[in-house]
Parts: sequence; C-alpha cells; structure tokens
Amino acid sequence: MNGVAASRRSPRRRAALQGGVALVLLGAVLAGSALLPESAQTVDAVARALPPQPGHILGTDLLGRDIAARTLAALAQSLQVGLLAAGCSTMVAVLLGLAATFGRAADHVVGALTELALGLPHFVLLIMIAFAAGGGTTGVIVAVALTHWPRLARVLRHEAQGIAASDYVAISRALGRSRGWIARHHLVPHLVPQIVAGFIVIFPHAILHEAGLSFIGLGIEPHLPSVGVMLADSLREIMAGNWWVGAAPGLGLMLVALAFERFGEALRRTTSPAGGVA
Amino acid sequence: MIRSLPALALALSLAVPSQADARALVLAIGGEPDGGFDPIMGWGHYGSPLFQSTLLRYDAKLELIGDLATNWELSEDRLVWRLSLRDDAVFSDGRPLTAEDVVFTYNTARTAGGLADLRVLREARAIDATTVELALTEPRITFAARLATLGIVPAGSYGAEYARHPVGSGPFRMVEWREGEQLVVEPNPHWHGGEIAFERVSFVFGSEEAGQALARTGAADLVAVPPSMADRAPPGMEDLHVDSVDNRGLAFPMLPSTGRTTDAGAAIGNDVTADRAIRVAVNQALDRDALVALALDGHGRPAMGPADGLPWDNPEAAIPGNDPAAAMDTLDAAGWTDEDGDGIREKDGLRAAFQLLYPASDSTRQALALGASEQLRGIGIDARPTGGSWDEIGALMHSQVVVLGWGAHDPSEIYFLHHGNYSGVDYYNTGHYANPAVDAHLEAAEAASGVDASLARWKAAAWDGETGFGPRGDAAWAWMVNLEHSYWVSECLDLGALQVHPHGHGFPITHDLASWRWTCE
Repeated sequence: MNGVAASRRSPRRRAALQGGVALVLLGAVLAGSALLPESAQTVDAVARALPPQPGHILGTDLLGRDIAARTLAALAQSLQVGLLAAGCSTMVAVLLGLAATFGRAADHVVGALTELALGLPHFVLLIMIAFAAGGGTTGVIVAVALTHWPRLARVLRHEAQGIAASDYVAISRALGRSRGWIARHHLVPHLVPQIVAGFIVIFPHAILHEAGLSFIGLGIEPHLPSVGVMLADSLREIMAGNWWVGAAPGLGLMLVALAFERFGEALRRTTSPAGGVA
Repeated sequence: MIRSLPALALALSLAVPSQADARALVLAIGGEPDGGFDPIMGWGHYGSPLFQSTLLRYDAKLELIGDLATNWELSEDRLVWRLSLRDDAVFSDGRPLTAEDVVFTYNTARTAGGLADLRVLREARAIDATTVELALTEPRITFAARLATLGIVPAGSYGAEYARHPVGSGPFRMVEWREGEQLVVEPNPHWHGGEIAFERVSFVFGSEEAGQALARTGAADLVAVPPSMADRAPPGMEDLHVDSVDNRGLAFPMLPSTGRTTDAGAAIGNDVTADRAIRVAVNQALDRDALVALALDGHGRPAMGPADGLPWDNPEAAIPGNDPAAAMDTLDAAGWTDEDGDGIREKDGLRAAFQLLYPASDSTRQALALGASEQLRGIGIDARPTGGSWDEIGALMHSQVVVLGWGAHDPSEIYFLHHGNYSGVDYYNTGHYANPAVDAHLEAAEAASGVDASLARWKAAAWDGETGFGPRGDAAWAWMVNLEHSYWVSECLDLGALQVHPHGHGFPITHDLASWRWTCE
C-alpha cells in the first residue's frame, strides 16, 4: 500500500500527511530565520549581484545581501503576517457566524454583510483598505483580516443555524440558559473543525496577498525582507540578467502557499459529507 | 510583468512609424511634470522648457548667453536689471512676443508662489516694446539664474488651461500629452533659433523598466537608466555617463525637541541630532567611497559639501570621512558611551538613535540609507532606515534625519538650504538651522557686486575660520555622494556638448534638445 493509495482511501490520513508537510515547512522557515545571524542580511558593497556560489548558495542582490538569508527572513515575516491576518479574519468570521444565531434581524444583517463583501472585487478592496490603514505591516494585516472572512462566515452561519435549531439547544434554552452560554457551550465546540479548516484555507491567501500588497509598494517597507518586496526588486534585476534574485523568493512563496492550500483542502474533505470520494 | 506589457505594445506602435516617416525621436527619460507645463508653476526649472523661451540661458559651459534678451545689464546699485529683447520672437500661435509678455510673466510668477522663487522681485516693467526692467527689493546676485529658468508665457492667452495647453516662443509646440504615458512635440515653425533636425519628439513616461524595454526593441533613442544598468546598453546604443552636481546627503534636525510643531502639525527637533558631536561623528564615520560603490555601482563620487567642485564650494569646510576611530573619539569626548552593552551609545539616558527617512520609491536613496545605517551602527549610532512616501517624510523630516538631494547651477540653493529665514520652507532648511553669522555671510554673498565678488562670501558661509554650516562648523548636513547620470543613447544620435547636470536625472539632458542631430542615414 503506497502513500497515495492510502491517502485516497482515508481523508484523515491524507490531511495528516499534508499537515505534516506544511508544519515541517513552517518550522523550517521559522527556525531557519531565527537562527540566522543578523549580519546575513546586511548590505555589502563588495559582494553585489553575485550569482549562486559557495558562501552565497542562492546568490546576492544588488546591495550584496544574501538571497538565501533574505528569503528565509522574508518567508518568516510572511508567515507571521499571514498567521496574524488569517487569525484576525477567522475571528471576524466566527463572531459574525455566532451573531447570526442571535435572532432573525441579526441573521439578516450578517447575511447581507457577507453577500455584500463577497460581491466586492477582492484585490481592489484589499488595496483600498491597506492604503486607508496607512500601508506597512499593520495595513496588510488589517486589509487581509477585513477581506477574507466572508466565505468562512457563510459556512459558519449555516452550521450555527443548524445547531441552534437542534433539540439539545432548544432544551438548554428552555432551561433558561443565556444566548452567550449556548454559544460557548454548544455552538463553538461543534464549529471547531470548520473554524480550523477555514483558518488553514485563509492562511495561504493571506501570505499571497501580503506579497501582492508589498509588491505594489503598499505593504512592508522596501528595505525589510518581504517576499513581495524581493519580487518587486527582482523585476529590475531580471533586466540586468540577475535571474536568481527573483527565483528563490518566488519558489519559496509558491511552496509554502501550496503546502497550506493542500493541507486546507485535505482538512476540508475530512469534514465534508463526500469526504475522500472526490 | 504586467507593467511591461503596455511598454511592449507602445514599443511596437512606436517602432513602425519611425521607420517609414521622416525621423522622429523617442526619449524615455522621465521628468513628467505633475502640474503640467506652466513655467510660472515651476516647469522648466531643470532642463529645457521645450515650449517656452527664457530671457537668458546657460550654454554647455554654464555661462549665461542671451535667448530672448539680446543685451542685459545690472544697475550700479544692483537693484535693477535692464534687458533688451529680440524683435523676431513669435509665440507658436503666431503672435509676436513683446516686453508686455515678459512683464506679465515675471509679475505673475512673483505672486503665484510656484517653484520659480521670485520673492525678491519688486516689479517688472516695460520701457518700450523691446525693453524691460526688473526691479529687486534687495541686491540678489543669483537672480540672473532665474532669468535663465523662467519661460515667458503670452499675456494675452495665459489662463487656467495653460499648463495643459502651453503656448510659447520656444523650439517646440505640443502635439499631444497623455498623462502618465507620453508627450509628443513637434518643432515650432515660428521659433527664432533655427532648424530642428526632427519631425517629432516623443517623451515616453512610465517605469524605468518600461524605458529599458523600449530601448531593447530599438523603439527609444535615449533612455535614462539607473546605475545598475549603466554599463549594459543594448546593441545599437551606447552608454553615456554625464557628470552632475546632483548630490545626496543626510539633513539633520538641528534643534532640540521642545514639543514645538510646524503649522501643519509636524514635530520639530531631535535631542540626539541637536548635539553637534553626533553630527560631526556621522560626518567622520561615513565611508563615502563604499556608498558610491554600493548605491551607485561606482557611477558617482563622494560628496563632502553641497556644491563640490563648483566655484562657490569651500573645501576647507569639510572634515575627513571614513575614520570610525575619530568618530568614536568625538562621541566619547561628548559623553556618548555604551553603558548597557547593546552596541548603541547613550548619554544621560538618551540613546543615540534616530530614524533615517528615505522615499520608498527611490532605490538609490534606499541603498544610501541602508549603507549609512550600517556604517553608523559601527560607531554606536542606531540610524533606523524608514521608507515612506513624500507625504510621510514631510511629516517627519523636521524631527528625524532624512536623505535629501540637491544640486544647482547657481549658489542660490546654498542660501535656501542654510538661511534661517528658510527654516521649514518646502524641503529647503528642514532641520531649522539658524546661525546669525552664516546668515550674514549668505546675505553678503547675495548682495555682492558681482558673481566673482560673491564667491568669497559663499565660501565663508560654509566655514569662515570660526563657524559655518559645513562639517567643520555646525555640520548641518552629512553629504554622502554626487551622482553621475547614466543613459543609453542611440549610436546615431549626436547630443552635442553636454552641461554638468543639476539635480534631476533625466530631463536636464534636454537643455539643448533643439540642436541634437541624427548622424545615420
């Protein structure tokens, strides 16, 4: 029995495998960037625009900074921003999903808000919010947090309504439990799988959008290590033939985003009724 | 990637007619003015005003020659310029240019408050159809430079739309301007200066990369390129390096922080940089040769003052750089020591730390900020690079150190950068520097009887043996590098003799565009 066959049969095993890959990548990036000496990213007039070679295995950029060290630091930065932004976004979705069970009017408001947010062009909204929040790391986090909640909120709203209509919730209500108590003790525990899967699906989006905003100059300051900034720099350097400047951050970003995307997808299937068949 | 697609489309559209028709010239040198082509609002300050002519102009050796003026003289008391105008100058709409137009232009510019700084002008008046007098409120020797930069507009048709539809007596007239994309001009048939060798001239705007893409397809004849691309001209083009007085330096906040703010609410003052020892140590520590290598790819030279190599520069005002040991001695002697062992010095509980602001869109200034920051860390000063927009910099530049650039063909900038009256005015004296002795030297220089006589006073303002704005005196700035402006130019394009460029990479090269020639068949 090989791994592929096993994962095809068991969505849980598949999710565990994908999760393992994603977590190993996450750990490697965070540990790598934490272990790097600060000097690995400093400018060096002598070692400018060197192609990959011993000492600089992925080469250096136009300011003599080591691409390998800078890529690791950039990915770590992306992961941190992504975790925070995806976390905030998930929080927003959970709050709105729970709020939808607080009566008919609240449900209508949440439904309308969700549809409205889904109808707006995604990246335009991101740019506008990031700009309004003053750009920088904060701008990116706020923008991602405020644009990525609708899909998860919609899922949670439906799930929460289903649970809220069940007998044991009705009994709790008849026993005089408050809405808050019911939300804490009945709704949230049942929603945990959706919340976790939703968070992991949002996470790679958050990383990609952080890179996108930094690429167009609305994100992280251009001297700090960030994948978007490095890719924007590489546009100029590719003109000079320095292909390695864009290759490492581009591939690194793709790998990390892909790993989490697949993990999220695998996790989603474990909870979907058609899990493992598709 | 997406950004280069329009450039390629444009390249194709430009490449076709240039082969079929008579010669059209395509330049990708940036310099698109935000506010349009109105000299009264600052257009033409650097480079050729294209559409307008000026009273005087600088030749390639930076000597003043007549353009509209055939004769000019300054009165004994140095308060009145009298200029005779040529009688064959005609605006591109066919109407003749008279003294009234000159008077209108100068009087309007005086009150408009654009970049053309004419505060010192009392009034312009017409004596007859071809003679004007410009009366000043006080002697101002650098006023002659304004005569060479302010383009004359027609009194009859100047209005709100002028900036978008300029009419002038210069070598070119506008065919089309699509903002952010391109400006197309053609020779003005009424121009008094002679033949122009090109049917049309197109200025393509957009990113540096787009300009380079155009050059590679053969669609652009002249492209301004960053230092990193300076020696990589594609086939059919040559590398061109032009010397400049375009400099970059660190402007220090000179006042201690007392809670005072500008009218716009920006904080003024910084307790760290208000200490002269910090400013001197920065000047001593900076390895400017390394900065030239790092940020300019070697295409430049170290800058020791605001006007290196110009007649009004005072080399005596400089102190040797690349001497971290001397810088550390300076800091030790002033009481800045590293008490807590974190590598950064303190004095009375105050860390030797400040922000180093640079515009996020400018890769050269970013590299300078990073390089300087690293060098300063070596002597125990924490200069944190901070990238931002010009708006963000504007709010911080009176209380933090900022990478600024200047460089002009006349010494008036020395006055604006260091005179107390210009504290907080535009980007001039951002540090609110004021030293009565320096102010007196600057005023004496402007009031001198002639350019030669003014030189000694300009030099004394930098260092007079006791004080001055230079590093040996108050060290109001730490100058870092002088740029070299790099271009790719078609092998067939003869640009003639070139000036030393002022501040602004790109447009200044057009100063004598009308005399460029095409040397290939």
